[in-house]
Amino acid sequence: MTDEPSAVPLVEMRGVEKSFPGVRALQGVRFDLRSGEVHALMGENGAGKSTLMKILTGVYQPDGGEIRIDGQPVTLPTPHAAQALGISIIHQELFLMNHLTAAQNIFIGREPRKGLGIFVDEAKLKRDAAAIFKRMKVDIDPGAEVGHMTVARQQLVEIAKALSYNARVLVMDEPTSALNETEVEHLFAVIEDLKANGVGVVYITHKMDEVKRIADRVTVMRDGQYIDTLPAAQTAMSTIIQLMVGRELADQHRATGTGTAEEVLRVEGLNRGAMIRNVSFALNRGEILGFAGLMGAGRTEVARAIFGADPLDSGTIHIHGREQKIATPADAVANGIAYLSEDRKHFGLVTGMSVRDNVTMASWRRFLSSGLFMQDDALGKVAEEYVRKLKVKTPHIHQETRLLSGGNQQKVVIAKWLLRDCDILIFDEPTRGIDVGAKAEIYRLLEDLAAQGKAIIVISSELPEVLRLSHRIAVMCEGRITGELDGRMASQEDIMTLATQRSSAAA
Amino acid sequence: MTDTAVQPAASGKPGFFTTQTMQKAVAFVVLVALLAFFSAFASNFATGANMVGIMQATAVNGVLGVAVTFVIISGGIDLSVGTMMTLTAVMAGIILTNLGMPLPIGILGAIASGAFMGAISGAVIAKLKIPPFIATLGMMQIARGLALVFSGAKPIYFNDTPNYGLLSPESSISKLIPGVEIPNGVMIMFIVAIIASIVLNRTIIGRMIFALGSNEEAARLSGINVDRWKILTYAICGGICGIAGLIVSSRLNSAQPALGLGYELDAIAAAVIGGTSLAGGRGTVIGTIIGAFIMSVLTNGLRVMGVLEEWKIVVTGVIIIVAVFIDIVLRKKA
Amino acid sequence: MKKTILTSALALGLAIGAPVFAQETYFPIIAKGFSHQFWQAVKAGAEEAAARNGVTITFEGPNTEAEIDKQTDILNAAIAKAPQGLGFAALDSQAQVPALQKAADAGIPIVAFDSGVESDLPLTTCTTDNMAAAAAAADGLAKAIGEEGKIAAVIHDQTSATGIGRRDGFLNRIKEAYPNIEVVDVQYANDALKATDNVKAMLQANPDIKGIFASNEGAAIGLAVAIKESGAQIVGVGFDSGKTQKDAIMDGTLIGSVTQNPVGIGQCVVDSLAKAIKGEELPKVIDTGFYWYDKTNMADEKIAAVLYD
Repeated sequence: MTDEPSAVPLVEMRGVEKSFPGVRALQGVRFDLRSGEVHALMGENGAGKSTLMKILTGVYQPDGGEIRIDGQPVTLPTPHAAQALGISIIHQELFLMNHLTAAQNIFIGREPRKGLGIFVDEAKLKRDAAAIFKRMKVDIDPGAEVGHMTVARQQLVEIAKALSYNARVLVMDEPTSALNETEVEHLFAVIEDLKANGVGVVYITHKMDEVKRIADRVTVMRDGQYIDTLPAAQTAMSTIIQLMVGRELADQHRATGTGTAEEVLRVEGLNRGAMIRNVSFALNRGEILGFAGLMGAGRTEVARAIFGADPLDSGTIHIHGREQKIATPADAVANGIAYLSEDRKHFGLVTGMSVRDNVTMASWRRFLSSGLFMQDDALGKVAEEYVRKLKVKTPHIHQETRLLSGGNQQKVVIAKWLLRDCDILIFDEPTRGIDVGAKAEIYRLLEDLAAQGKAIIVISSELPEVLRLSHRIAVMCEGRITGELDGRMASQEDIMTLATQRSSAAA
Repeated sequence: MTDTAVQPAASGKPGFFTTQTMQKAVAFVVLVALLAFFSAFASNFATGANMVGIMQATAVNGVLGVAVTFVIISGGIDLSVGTMMTLTAVMAGIILTNLGMPLPIGILGAIASGAFMGAISGAVIAKLKIPPFIATLGMMQIARGLALVFSGAKPIYFNDTPNYGLLSPESSISKLIPGVEIPNGVMIMFIVAIIASIVLNRTIIGRMIFALGSNEEAARLSGINVDRWKILTYAICGGICGIAGLIVSSRLNSAQPALGLGYELDAIAAAVIGGTSLAGGRGTVIGTIIGAFIMSVLTNGLRVMGVLEEWKIVVTGVIIIVAVFIDIVLRKKA
Repeated sequence: MKKTILTSALALGLAIGAPVFAQETYFPIIAKGFSHQFWQAVKAGAEEAAARNGVTITFEGPNTEAEIDKQTDILNAAIAKAPQGLGFAALDSQAQVPALQKAADAGIPIVAFDSGVESDLPLTTCTTDNMAAAAAAADGLAKAIGEEGKIAAVIHDQTSATGIGRRDGFLNRIKEAYPNIEVVDVQYANDALKATDNVKAMLQANPDIKGIFASNEGAAIGLAVAIKESGAQIVGVGFDSGKTQKDAIMDGTLIGSVTQNPVGIGQCVVDSLAKAIKGEELPKVIDTGFYWYDKTNMADEKIAAVLYD
């Protein structure tokens, strides 16, 4: 499409420097974007992608270097200045006002006026929004409240908002992280359309398959430095990963073991509204059971129900062969079940508390003298032990967990449950928000845990991850388990077939 | 980030200049500055008797501040501390004067009734999922109404319990250490503060309160019985209000059923000036006590200087905003 | 939405239904408060007179004397019940005139009490002459300190008519009659605890103070506690009564106090209303009287009758 470089790139960044107290975030980074291309920006967390894009969108000021738009040197003192030059960003977390309509969100702060400029011209507002949606070829009611829309549609509203500023440069930060397959396809269609209209898209992602699918070129960053820019189509994934991590990763590793025959957990006939329908499965000691399926298939709901976080309509849960009543998370924990949510900041960690307190939190009652006083020395020792065991990178155990990277936060949560002697570990998207290098480490950790006899459930939307880890794979669709596969032999196609096996039966 | 060397997990303690210690230090510096200022510019300010007067004027607000600090750290708020204090004072009056029971029973009764009412607030919040602001707003009225009903809208006097009036204004410590004329009410405040500090920092109760205030859902999903700890938190707050009720009613030698309204805002202000975050998860008892002292030093100093009552109120408001602003600035830096 | 309509309909129904009570003679009495001892005594007097005249009364008031808006709400609700007469102690002598006008328009006789209303609407006002009563307190204080030296006052409120009246009555009398007395400080405190700490700070700032006047029961309690705690050798003069104040006068902590006649005020309101509906003429103001009392005359029958615990 844009194999012929146009004479003057749309965006050109040269020798960009940025330091924060104690960190050199960017060192002589360059990046360019042509009109009508999708340029993927890749790198591990902390590689400097976000900082670079914050400079491009006027959030940060560079310490050195040059930015040219259409060949003209520019300064971008504020996000507003960047927007005026046609540079917009779609953040991973959307910044929309839920109680306003799509049209009101798009034109917030720039509403067309009427009647001496006192009243908002709602009709024109809607017309203008509808026109943008039409240009994007999406079917969204401009008068609908954003809060009632799916994340995918909210994202389209954000894109429409960017376009309303006549955006020529669109930065998208992990836009598919909360979308299902259909929605991703839809988004890609919109992006193709933008390309055709000459918009340049900077696409930040961790997902290799998306890069292959949508990007024209890939720029890899590592440790705040520019590494290389490559044509997306002709470059092997393993090459890109290698550039990102600076070391070789064993590609397409598959699960090998099978777990033992000792049944640890068996659930029978779980039901909860439309989200969980007659779900039954068993899990053995030493086994990793993958749960695959599209977003909204009911996997997280099953996990939360087993953990006692949400009430069940019916069904039984057997732990080590005995039926147990699990009404609250406290019951589940008492039965050795741990749930590691994908949203660690909200459900996994008390981010304002230290590594020590987070690791020991579920076990505090074991560290009491006179039944009241915390034995902080003992807590410290055991926290140190787990920090060492799981190789948590933290300056000390008193560090607040909000300051740790995603991978290390996940390790802290894992440590919490290991210390609590949980032998059934349910991981919901264990590597979400974790960079590639740390992912491999988490994978190895899960395998070690299984080898030590823990029974593990892994819920993941990334098929390579499910295939990489699972001894056995349960696939869900519309609240029911549509099939089980042998992890060592299953293919992505097998999983997708089951994941889309909709039943016509009305609930 | 990508280098393979794993950083060793050093066993370093948190640095001295954490946000919490900083905030406490800032509040303390403000307090010292105020004392220095008034000593220099208000004659008759820096006398032993006036310092004792300031401490006495701090006692009730300090104790109520400690009570509300527990709740605020847990992520809640308690608007009923002022009228709860009144109700517990009335309970002490009923037990001692109307029922003629011995002094220890009156003391325990006041604290227990506060803890009981607090537990009700906590249960309403935890079980009925009523927001703390609303639940305790209701409790504020309930406690006020009950105080009026139980007392027949009349003060209850403690003339039949002669020792009661001495409880707060007497200075027992001066008998042990001559020259230290600190009244018991003030000593009680310090003791409450020390015990509260230990509970918050050294016991599982405190750890749970901080966990609740920082991230209640994560605590729940860690298998912690969140409801139970929440109820306990409000019960502790109510119990401490009971202690405040004893201090105030002993000092006035009567349980005044109409007093107490508006005291909750002073208590919350003391906590906030002392660096307790209204968002929960952060705060110290020492900070609250310093905050309460800042408020009473300010009031006393301006009064001794002869500044108009109206301006004292304005200055207190300014101090609250400045304190929270410092808090925000420090948090950004951390 | 439906709920709101339902509740308003209900409220309306109640308002309409209320005149059913009006078969018997009904006077709502609206005070400035009810939890204070003083108002309880007024209430007792009103109830006594109601029984004597064979009428029904209700006695209401807001939580604190600052809640003017709440008192206006109570007033409006009372007018809506179409009573035969209305007793009203205005928290604000001007702000509530329009609400009273409504009552007058509906032909409801109004009797003001405690503090007046700046209008001709009330047929009469049953009140203590606060200025004169505070002047009596000033006389008592001046005499006790030998008519010379520094004094101060702690006033219960800076905006209400009683607060202003007693403050000015006290200050004016000192200025006019005692040229050798200097008032060095006037402080405000709306409860006993705050009054205590205020007085102590005041004594701190002016160690040579010889006497302090406290303008209501709460302020007087605070004054007594502060004198006891600080051990200051000063003359304290209070206002109203209550057990703490009476005890303080007996044991010499306070030298004396001025009592109003709250029971008399309550009786006056109901008696005047009863007279009004019979068509009797009433004087513009009925002074219910006040008394200076101290250790020597507290037991007098006339005085003891108007003191409350």
